[in-house]
Amino acid sequence: MELTLSKPFAAIRRSQSYKAIRACLWEINPISKQILGICSALAVTVQLRTAIVMSLALTFVVAFSSLTISALRNLIPRNIRIIVEISIIATLVIIADEVLKAFLYDISKQLSVFVGLIITNCIVLGRAEGYALSNPPIPAFVDGLANGVGYSSILIGVAFFRELLGSGKLLGFQVVPEIFYRAGYENMGLMLLAPGAFIVIGLFVWLQHTLIEK
Amino acid sequence: MSERFRSILFAVVLSVVISVLLTAASTGLQRFQEKNVLLDKQKNILKSVGLIQEGRRYPPGTIEALYKKSIRAVWAGPEGGIIETPIGGEQDMPIYLHIQNGDIHAYVVPINSRGLWGRIKGYLALRSDGSTISGFTVYQHAETPGLGGEFEKEWFQKNFVGKKIVDSRGDFVSISIAKGRVAERIPKPRRDNYVDGISGATLTGKYLTAGLRRILSEYEPVSIRFRKHGAKFSPETK
Repeated sequence: MELTLSKPFAAIRRSQSYKAIRACLWEINPISKQILGICSALAVTVQLRTAIVMSLALTFVVAFSSLTISALRNLIPRNIRIIVEISIIATLVIIADEVLKAFLYDISKQLSVFVGLIITNCIVLGRAEGYALSNPPIPAFVDGLANGVGYSSILIGVAFFRELLGSGKLLGFQVVPEIFYRAGYENMGLMLLAPGAFIVIGLFVWLQHTLIEK
Repeated sequence: MSERFRSILFAVVLSVVISVLLTAASTGLQRFQEKNVLLDKQKNILKSVGLIQEGRRYPPGTIEALYKKSIRAVWAGPEGGIIETPIGGEQDMPIYLHIQNGDIHAYVVPINSRGLWGRIKGYLALRSDGSTISGFTVYQHAETPGLGGEFEKEWFQKNFVGKKIVDSRGDFVSISIAKGRVAERIPKPRRDNYVDGISGATLTGKYLTAGLRRILSEYEPVSIRFRKHGAKFSPETK
């Protein structure tokens, strides 16, 4: 029984995609190890809801931009390489922004400029230059997806603590019970501000570095 | 094919493809986006008269139903009367009446003011006494997030509630955004006509103050009528 169940899992574990995703979650996490994409990680992690939407948007952009750029990698002239990459990234970001405005209007207003700022997010251009240009489309797509997942994990982790400690809620639902407040518990206002985000991200980076050393 | 020619050709083809994609996305989604903007406008008008609260989620359809029930979109006539159909042209002054139990509870003036980086759009609701502000909302602006952008936050807008657009003598003075705290900067008799400013957003405050003054003086004939007749002001009066 155990053998037949573990076989497909073992096969998945050996696959390239799984290794790529696991690496980006841990060893080479874009935020905690490569220290990229911090700006948006500070701004949109005040609430869990916005962090999730931002994570999905960025994962979509980095995966499909890597895919497109990789598919065109033999056609793109060397001398306009960066501008072409940015154009492709910008197109995807604008499409993501328009879709958000059409179907998730309230969240898009909260995210405001930060969806547009995905264009400047170092992770996207970094993966395009560093991987997509020299690898075939499907591995490039997986690489983009993996980096997106790594970024999302940190974003959601930070947002979880910031919303919980800063407003006592998760996804908008009150989690800290009323009796706590009456007993004198107060929300940690610092968690709602950028310095609080910095501190939480810093702790995540430290934690990950320490655990990897082991 | 020379290197340079190839680059230009690639750039042109890429630009055309991207333009087509973005135009298709934009026009395809326009319908949904416009519906959202309209719903947002209704939400803001309802919020400015206090019928709905910021931060609470309402099931679909409630907003539209509430709006239809309590708000009448009409126009202000040149002498301060309320007219059902617009005159047409630039002289149009839209106004929204909050009706409760057949009486006019409040009237809402659309605000379209110059800001530092673009227009500031919102709604200012005044009680039927024609002098007291009952609510203020900002739904569109291009100000710096964290500075002028704080004007769209609830804490700033709440400061407007209860403030007056007339001074102790009953003369129109509009509502102004002070540079700093009202309690520290403004003499006591004038405090009802000022709200706290935001540090780092002085220019935004200046422009918004000027915009509010301009628009409120345009709507002064309506306010004067409300001051005279109060809630008994019948919407059919010309």
